[in-house]
Amino acid sequence: MAIHERSLVEPERILRKERLVIDGVDVSGDWNLIILPRVINDYDLDFGKEVLNTPEGKTINQCYQCSYCTSSCPVHNYWDERYNPRHFIYLARLGMIDELQKRADVMWRCVSCHKCTHRCPKGVLVEEVVKAILHVMAKRGLVEEYPSKKFDKFFTESVVEYGRIEDGELLFGWIEKQGYKVFKDPILKKPIPFIGETPEWLKELTLKPIKSMNIGFLVLNAKHMLVHPRTKNWSKFKHVLRKVMQEEGALN
Amino acid sequence: MGIIGKRVAYYPGCSLEGAARSYGVSTKIVAKELGLELDYLEDYNCCGAMESKNVTFMGTMLLNARNMSLARKQGHKVIVAPCNGCSFSLQRTEYFLETDKAVFDKVNALLREGGVDPLDQIPQTYHILEWFYHEAGPQKVKEKTRKPLRGLKVANYYGCLYTRPHFYARTYAHAGGQDEEARPRRRETADDDEHPYYMNALLEAAGATSVEFEPMHTQCCGGPHSLSDEMVSEKFVMMILQTAKRKGADIIATECPLCHASLEMYRHRLMMKGVPDVDVPAAYFTQLLGLAFGYSANDVKLKDNLSDPLPVLKKLGLA
Repeated sequence: MAIHERSLVEPERILRKERLVIDGVDVSGDWNLIILPRVINDYDLDFGKEVLNTPEGKTINQCYQCSYCTSSCPVHNYWDERYNPRHFIYLARLGMIDELQKRADVMWRCVSCHKCTHRCPKGVLVEEVVKAILHVMAKRGLVEEYPSKKFDKFFTESVVEYGRIEDGELLFGWIEKQGYKVFKDPILKKPIPFIGETPEWLKELTLKPIKSMNIGFLVLNAKHMLVHPRTKNWSKFKHVLRKVMQEEGALN
Repeated sequence: MGIIGKRVAYYPGCSLEGAARSYGVSTKIVAKELGLELDYLEDYNCCGAMESKNVTFMGTMLLNARNMSLARKQGHKVIVAPCNGCSFSLQRTEYFLETDKAVFDKVNALLREGGVDPLDQIPQTYHILEWFYHEAGPQKVKEKTRKPLRGLKVANYYGCLYTRPHFYARTYAHAGGQDEEARPRRRETADDDEHPYYMNALLEAAGATSVEFEPMHTQCCGGPHSLSDEMVSEKFVMMILQTAKRKGADIIATECPLCHASLEMYRHRLMMKGVPDVDVPAAYFTQLLGLAFGYSANDVKLKDNLSDPLPVLKKLGLA
C-alpha cells in the first residue's frame, strides 16, 4: 500500500500496541502495528456493469489501478485524503457498495480539474467515471443530496429554461438556497442586492462598481438581472431538452 | 501558423456578455489588432459549463451540438471560445460525437426534432489563446505593441481546462484500448500540457516579464465548486494568490471568466479574513495586450475587474 493511501484503512481497524506478545513471542517494535482484516458482507457485480453501460463510464474497465489519478488529484492532496478516485473505481468494479457509501460524503468533492483524466496512462476518463459512479449511486438511492448536485441542478434549470445563464441570478439564487433571506421586489420577483440579507463579502463586492462609478457595468448587469438574457427560438429546443432529461431521470 | 484559419466562428459564452464583458470587449480589440476575424455565433445558447454535464449527459451533448450546428449554418469548420469551460464543453462533445456513433445519431435526430439543422460535419473547437498564438503569434504581437508592458511582472494563470484533458479533441480514436495507435494523442496546435507557455509568449512579446509560477499556473481554482464548496475553493485560490505574490508578481493574467471571477471573489474574501499575501489583482490577458496595443484602461474596461488592477498598472505607468 502506497503511503499516501493509508487513509483507505479506517482508523478503528489499525491496532497499535506498545508491547505485543503473540503465542509467547515478543513482537514489539517493528511489529507493533496490526491492520485488522476487513469483512466483506456483500457485493454487487452489476454495479460496475451499470457504470460501464453509461456513456461517461464506458472506460472504467481499462483502469489498471496505477493511482496516477489519485496522486495528481488536488482534492486528495490539498483537501481530504479520503477522496481517492483510484479507490472509487476499484470499489465500483468489485461492486462493494457499502464501502462506496462510506465515502459518499467526499465523493462529490471532485472539482472537475481533469488532472486525473489527463494523466491516466490507460485513457480512462477518470473524472467522468467517478461522476458516473456517483450518478449510478444516486439513481439507486445510495447517496444523500450533496451541495454540488444542488448547484448543478440549479444551474442546469436556468440553462434549460432560458438558454443562457445570468451571473447575478446564479449568485443570488444560490445564496437564497443557502438560507439567506434575499429581498425580492414584489412584482418581478427579482432579487435586489443591498436590501435583503446577504453575506458581508458579497455586499462589499457589489458595492465596488458603485464606488468606482462604473456606470456601464452596473447598467448592463442590472438590465440582465431584470430581463434574463435568453436565446431566441428556444421553446421547441427546450421541450426536447426536457424530454431527454426526463428519459435520463435527471429531472427528479 | 495558419493551421486554424483567420476567420472563425466566435462562441463568446454567457459570461462574456454579462459580468465578464471586459474580457469580451478586450478580446474583440485584440483580434482586430492582430488582423483576425471573429464571426459572432448568432443566437447561441449556454454550453452547460461544468455543471450540466453532471446532471444530464444527453442534454449537455444537445446544448453543445446546437451551437455546433449554428456554426455550421454560418459556414464554419472551426469554433473559437475564449472561456476554458466553454471550449472544454465543446471539445468534450466533439469527442463523444466522434467516438460514439450511437450518440452522434441520437444527437442528430434530437436536433432535428428541436428545429435545428442536424450536423453534417463536426466543427472543431479551439481556445482563443491557442488561436491567437497560432494565427498571429508573438511576432505579430511584438509588431503591434505601441506601449510595451515594461516592468510588469505577470503570473500567467491558465487554469485547468485549457490544457486538460489533452485528448478530448482531435484524436478520433477511442481513448485507451490495446492499440498503441489508438491511444489518446495531443492535437497539433495544443499548448504544452504540463507546462503551457502560449500566454507567457504573447505577454512577453508585449514587453511583460513572466514570473515563475509553476505548478500553480494550472492549479484548480475551485471551478464548478466555487459557489457550492466554498472551503475547498478558498484554499485553492489562497494557494494560487500566495504563490503569485511570493514569486513577486504584480498581476495575475487570466484567460477564463470563471477562473477570473473565482480568483477575484475569493481574493476579496481572503483579504477580509486577513490572510497574508493574497492582494495580487487579476486581469484578462487580452486586457493587458489591449493596453500594450495602445488602448486606454477605459477601452479595455479595467474598471470592471473587481480586484482593481489599476493602481498597480498606474504605478508602472502602463494605464
